[in-house]
Amino acid sequence: MNKLNRNLIPVPSELKSFSLPDISTIYLKNGLKVICVEKTELPIIQTYLVSNCGSKFDPQDKKGLANLFSMCIDEGAGDLNALELSDRFEMLGTDFSVSSSSDSFLISMMSLKDNFEKSFELFSLIVTRPEFGENNFIREKNKILTALAQLKDEPSQIAAQIFPYNLFGKENIYAYPSYGYESTIKQITVDDIKNFYKEYFSPSNSFVILVGDMDTNSVERIMNKTIGHWEGNLKDEPKITVSKNKLRKVYLYNKPHSVQSEIILGHISGKKHLPEYFQKLVLNKIFGGGFSSRINKNLREEKGFTYGASSNFGYYKNAGFFSASTSVNIENTANAVNEILIEMENIGKSISPKELSFAKSSIIKQFPSGFETYKQVARNLISKEVFSLPDDYFDNFIRFVSDVQLNDLLSLAGKFIDSGNVVINVVGDKEKLKNQLKNIKADKFYEVDLKGEIISEI
Amino acid sequence: MNSLIIEYEKYKLENGLEVILHRNNNIPLVSVNIWYKVGSANEVKGKTGLAHLFEHMMFQGSEHVAKEMHFKLIQEAGGSLNGSTSFDRTNYYEKLPSNYLELALWLESDRMGFLLPAMTEEKLKNQIDVVSNERLERYDNQPYGLAWEIILQNIYPDNHPYNWATIGSLEDIKNFTLDDVNSFFTQYYSPSNATLVVCGDIDLDIAKGLIDKYFGELKSNVSNKNNSAATIKLLENKLINRKEDVQLERTHIAWPTEPSYSSFDAPLAVIADILSGSKGSRLYKKLVFNKQVAQDISAFQFSGKFGGHFMIISTAKPNVNLNEIKNLIFEEIENIAENGVSDFELIKSKNSIKAGFVYSMQNLSNLADHLNHYNFYLDEPNSFAFDLNRFESVTNEDIKIAAQNYLAKPYVELNISPKF
Repeated sequence: MNKLNRNLIPVPSELKSFSLPDISTIYLKNGLKVICVEKTELPIIQTYLVSNCGSKFDPQDKKGLANLFSMCIDEGAGDLNALELSDRFEMLGTDFSVSSSSDSFLISMMSLKDNFEKSFELFSLIVTRPEFGENNFIREKNKILTALAQLKDEPSQIAAQIFPYNLFGKENIYAYPSYGYESTIKQITVDDIKNFYKEYFSPSNSFVILVGDMDTNSVERIMNKTIGHWEGNLKDEPKITVSKNKLRKVYLYNKPHSVQSEIILGHISGKKHLPEYFQKLVLNKIFGGGFSSRINKNLREEKGFTYGASSNFGYYKNAGFFSASTSVNIENTANAVNEILIEMENIGKSISPKELSFAKSSIIKQFPSGFETYKQVARNLISKEVFSLPDDYFDNFIRFVSDVQLNDLLSLAGKFIDSGNVVINVVGDKEKLKNQLKNIKADKFYEVDLKGEIISEI
Repeated sequence: MNSLIIEYEKYKLENGLEVILHRNNNIPLVSVNIWYKVGSANEVKGKTGLAHLFEHMMFQGSEHVAKEMHFKLIQEAGGSLNGSTSFDRTNYYEKLPSNYLELALWLESDRMGFLLPAMTEEKLKNQIDVVSNERLERYDNQPYGLAWEIILQNIYPDNHPYNWATIGSLEDIKNFTLDDVNSFFTQYYSPSNATLVVCGDIDLDIAKGLIDKYFGELKSNVSNKNNSAATIKLLENKLINRKEDVQLERTHIAWPTEPSYSSFDAPLAVIADILSGSKGSRLYKKLVFNKQVAQDISAFQFSGKFGGHFMIISTAKPNVNLNEIKNLIFEEIENIAENGVSDFELIKSKNSIKAGFVYSMQNLSNLADHLNHYNFYLDEPNSFAFDLNRFESVTNEDIKIAAQNYLAKPYVELNISPKF
């Protein structure tokens, strides 16, 4: 036998075909859209209910309302109190949770196939007949107020809170954390929660996704006798105002005794629409999406400033942004920011065909693994619904990525990742940072409070 | 339950490498997962964190794979990859489209057999910086971030291999030399000290051929080392009070218990679930739901090859005295030791554990890692049903005895309170 030549990189064998799961959609008598995907390897069903009633609908003086609503909705429903509901789910082996974001309200449920009907009856009870008792409300309100007090301990959460505030600006609904602020949460009453339920949460702004071992007929039967009775109205989308930043501005939040600095920087970018979305996806893969990206290679593998650096294009229903983030040792805070800024300047100047083919190959070949778990399949469909993507979006995904051309990317990179227009947030120890902060190549320097509001110019 | 029976084939190459294959062609993906039987438990004082730092060096290229190419090639193929280090073992894994199996085997075999020629001072210095930052980010700069390390130092005796955290001390991390790294490799990284799992969309014969091609010629340089551990016994309670930059007081109570898969390992895990696993669990209901004196509560049984401990962690609401919380916790522990739990609680807990087993089978990487896990601890990869049965067969009597034998005994108590 010949000695193995280890210098040869093995070539792949023949590509196996991958087919997307079949999707069927039914509408219940109350108009609720139910999307079903049959997936039968395991006797389980993943269910989601997504409603277009996130914190973007929060009134200015009651920020945190939608989130508190999501915390209260499963604290008692029908004849069952909060503990009874939780006990019943657990008895069935069913995982049930509720969450809320800027755009959406979301219920997630994972159940065994055999226990799906019983589990969904509880699910539907929570959606259609929540109790919103005063005691439960007060407990949940105190819970979020305490969690907000603890936020002062978490550098990455502080950074995540001050970044959108300065990125979007006070007039924009996406500037605010969905969990609200201490002062605004204190304004919220249990009647506000009940009104929110009546006015914003309805079958006409919601959809259900089911992925698992089931048949459409029995799903339709179960849905119609439960959640099919849910009634409600449709609310208009709130208005979005976007004012674009024109300079590089540094916002420092002073967290004394920090042993690292938390950095997040970025700027407003467009909404999610095609084909731009795919150009950005590929561009980001090269810039900061993954271990082999430019900024991770630079900041981690070359300079050793950090455990990792990454970037992404983030999307809300009606806005989008670009951001890069990292945690670095204090001495290299300014250096790290400057390196990211240099990479932002450079990405528009040159992209090699090799980088492009790497990024495209990685995204295209990774596509099937995005459909492995039941949650992943459901999550993919949720994003398609929320962003109103075309029905053949997943069928054409690979073609869209393949279509990204080097010339287009080169001409668009400077616009998509704009180094002249950057909101730079640093959470760290001001005393230890004072001698280097001004080394950041920026136009303006501010110190901000926990909200992100400017306290003073530095 | 049928979905918990995993068919597999297990064999050994001549050089001692253990191989486990499982075919599952639901989706055209393959998972490659290697466990090396070395972890931070093999380290010595003054060299803590070496096993984990070494794991980082394994991603820095090998004789036939240039620096950065390991990551690059797998990502270019649409794969994902990582590694992790614990007390007992270090694992390396990748999941990629099944037609790239050979690529993964080439990469894994190269760093198993040919790592040292590619080691340099420069790479080591860089990864020391990276790992130092990892420690700062994940431990030192996190609220209560040092609690785990402090508990380990106090609950495991000085000469016990779990006495320090896997990440290691910052001082030790910064002082590692190329010699340390190289001798760690020769001591522990060898086919005979590893198990390779390949699972997913594979043809068994083709997979065997490829494994033989890439791993067959590697030489083994170590015989399996038997580590041993001092017994863990606390003669009296240990109290540690610390002031840190945090908003709220938090208590951590830890009792020495048993190694993985010992008789009371599962009953202790069930007790943890009954205490804090859900809204209706005893301590959650009492502390967070009814009395509202705590913001959160968690309990778990941690266990490894050489020992284990049971831990309860709870954060006090503002203006609540931590003693009130501790009293309620101990009251409940005593109650369980004396009276056990209700049938309702026991069934509820078992049902959710059982469902959790089924849910965990969705992910190929998770499946591959579990096959290695069971093989390592039980010498039988297909142990999902056996493992579930450990929980299903827990009786109220087991719960009582577990609580009496372990939780009614001396403990380590760590309280962290605000500086200001």
